[in-house]
Amino acid sequence: MNPGDQLKKRLQHLVALLLVGLAVFGMFAEPAHAEDLAVKVRVQNQVQDAGTGKTKKEPVAGVKVVVADTSGAQVGEGVTDDKGVALIPLPAKADYTVTLDESTLPEGFALQEGGAERQVKGDAFVTSTVTVNYFTGAANRATVGWWSQFAQRLADGARFGLILAMCAVGLSLIFGTTGLTNFAHGEMVTFGAMIAYILNTDRAITPWLAFPVAIIAGGAFGLAQNEFIYSPLRKRKIGLVSQMVVTVGVAIVLKNIFLRILGGRTKVFAAFNNQDCKRVGPICVTPRDATTALISLVILVGVALALQKTRLGKATRAVSDNPDLASSTGIDSQKIIRLVWILGGMLAATGGIFRGLDEGVGPFIGSDLLFLMFAGITLGGLGSAYGALVGSFVIGLFVEVSTLGIPIMPGKNWPAPLDWLHNGVPSELKNVPAYVGMIIVLLVRPQGILGRRERVG
Amino acid sequence: MNWSNILTATLSAFFGVNAMYFALSAIGLNVQFGYAGLLNFGQAGFMACGAYAVGMTAHYYGISFWWGVPIAVVYAVIFGLIMGVPTLRLRADYLAIVTIALAECVRLIVRSVTFKKYFGGSDGINQFANSFVSKTPFNPSSKYSLYPFADSVNAVGSVLLLVSFAVCSVLLGHMLAQKWAKEERQGFQTKWIISAVAVMAFLMIASKQTEYDGLSFKSLVVGWILAAVIGGFIYMLMRSPWGRVIKGIREDEDAVRSLGKNVYSYKMQALILGGVIATFSGIMFSVSRGSVQPDNYSRDVTFYVLTALVLGGLAKVSGSIVGPMLFWAILSFVDAFLNELAKSWGGHVDIFGIPLITESSHIGVYVQVVIGLMLVFLMVFRPQGLFGNKKEMALDGH
Repeated sequence: MNPGDQLKKRLQHLVALLLVGLAVFGMFAEPAHAEDLAVKVRVQNQVQDAGTGKTKKEPVAGVKVVVADTSGAQVGEGVTDDKGVALIPLPAKADYTVTLDESTLPEGFALQEGGAERQVKGDAFVTSTVTVNYFTGAANRATVGWWSQFAQRLADGARFGLILAMCAVGLSLIFGTTGLTNFAHGEMVTFGAMIAYILNTDRAITPWLAFPVAIIAGGAFGLAQNEFIYSPLRKRKIGLVSQMVVTVGVAIVLKNIFLRILGGRTKVFAAFNNQDCKRVGPICVTPRDATTALISLVILVGVALALQKTRLGKATRAVSDNPDLASSTGIDSQKIIRLVWILGGMLAATGGIFRGLDEGVGPFIGSDLLFLMFAGITLGGLGSAYGALVGSFVIGLFVEVSTLGIPIMPGKNWPAPLDWLHNGVPSELKNVPAYVGMIIVLLVRPQGILGRRERVG
Repeated sequence: MNWSNILTATLSAFFGVNAMYFALSAIGLNVQFGYAGLLNFGQAGFMACGAYAVGMTAHYYGISFWWGVPIAVVYAVIFGLIMGVPTLRLRADYLAIVTIALAECVRLIVRSVTFKKYFGGSDGINQFANSFVSKTPFNPSSKYSLYPFADSVNAVGSVLLLVSFAVCSVLLGHMLAQKWAKEERQGFQTKWIISAVAVMAFLMIASKQTEYDGLSFKSLVVGWILAAVIGGFIYMLMRSPWGRVIKGIREDEDAVRSLGKNVYSYKMQALILGGVIATFSGIMFSVSRGSVQPDNYSRDVTFYVLTALVLGGLAKVSGSIVGPMLFWAILSFVDAFLNELAKSWGGHVDIFGIPLITESSHIGVYVQVVIGLMLVFLMVFRPQGLFGNKKEMALDGH
């Protein structure tokens, strides 16, 4: 290696380190104002929009809530404001009973499931406040036809599938080129969302600047992980299984740093918030969601074309196929691996931002997607970038659509696990069919849809 | 800074309930990962099998919770079969992904509202172990110590404690002497005696600082005896022909297959055996608290057990017992230290203007960061842990 190259490499290291360091330092420097211990009671009225079938939640003001400790002595009370929120300060982390005074509910409102009395456990205080949600009103379901519900789920599923595919392509490329199963990939997704959130909401920077910066930071984060962790491990000839366990450790560390920075609650971006959805045929979609879906599609097609057509893309596929053979044809496989980490980091960050726009930003949004990404990659074929793309899209679609039951199927009054064909999968369990599907794919066709046989054994 | 609080917290955790149930789980993971080379990331699922088996007996079936023990074993066997059938023929990373996904499925199902009738939803199941709690010679409201000459320990107790301390120091002393003596054979006896005395002294001094309530103390006694029995059984099993085949599979699967052994079947047996042992960990943990909560069996628990096991040393029974003890001692030390630090700094820990700790709930975050870093650095710089043998730590066969 000539001195020029070495200098360039040093500089690259320095830039990556600086970027990540700045990002992390900037976040810690933000004085996290000390919050007092409190229970946050939110009362919302659920109204089902007749057009979309989606449930809208509206705040209910003027409801009285009382908090008592385990001995029954009252420790605080509050009345919900026009946001439907009552913040009741508490003396200490302990078990409490929160009781909603039903007589103060507005005329015609009734509490839904859960009852007026709720328990708050002392160990539930992960952050300083614990949120207790009450829902009122009766949702009337049957107003929307099954087909339009199906179309809506299909549209939501396609959008989720595109986001998932974007996150998973990087994971698959990293696996393809280095053989590493990265359990910390979910944290790369969270990282992008977190940087974007901090720039956009805390620092009030326009999203047109904040989001690209977050995506670039995601790329730098990927590069830094490769340069400071995995590249040295490969040089030390540490086995792949050990490296995989290292990624688990990295995931634990990062997840907790994110938890410290973001706090336990889910946060919302300042930008593109509270949009009303526009009707397109049977479905209803907000301009924001339509845009993110379109951008995801363009990015994914772009990545696929780049892998297929460009020199670097071809080189990447060559390294994925056979690193030794690729090296012997003059491809610098370390350079390709670096590129793949940057690309993977940028794609994950983009996916994280879009997911955050959708679901809000929390410290675990990425790690919650990790197994769905694995399921997608397994379905598509481990190590194949196109497989990851197609597989994750299918998994995303499947997860959303599976929550909708098919009325003509049997099982209306069957007990819980058996009624899913008729009633749909409960949304709290919607990931389970995807995981089970992954296991079935491994049983029937372990190489996945687009994978090749020899990769498996 | 109140150092005696920190010391008590650290040493109590060294022998405490967390160390006990982690040790049981780690012995199981050691059979799978340490001896057979199966990277099982779903240990929390097996633990949940045990916890929910005993929890459901009273809550759902309405029978005595003792029936939970055989039911738990059945659950673990079924869970192991579901895990193993699709993946044991495939590469290690597939096993890791599938096991962790299945354990996550178990957690999602037991904490769901849909199945609340059976598993109690996210609140879990409470107060089912009354028949274990009530039959106790220890008063739940008073404090107990492991120190053999403490006031709370009667004559029988102190003899039992002294005997078990002696056995521990002979065994641990032997192990330490082996590490110490390495190649040279001369003077091994002396080193053994010195190590044993040192361990005995440590146990006596350390146990003096410990303090437990009655229910924890009972669970500790039962749990540690269980851990010792199972540990001894695994120690002998791994020196049997079966154990040699298992270790052979870890080293070179094809070689074992060429000797006419059914590798798939042996791997399945190891996976299920490890799972059944982990089930006992879940049982002991839930019984010691008298409650089962789904979020105690999240995927992170598996990783913590893995860290504790790697800390002690893979493919060593002693490592899988001492590892969790040290693991929890370290965690409790960090936790207590940061707590005291925050207290003495007025609830605020700032370094270079960065507010690291502003409220006590932040401390847990740093404890977990320590776990993650411990796992990374152990894997990279000392994969054989404290007591393991580097030759036995042959992941990936190189």
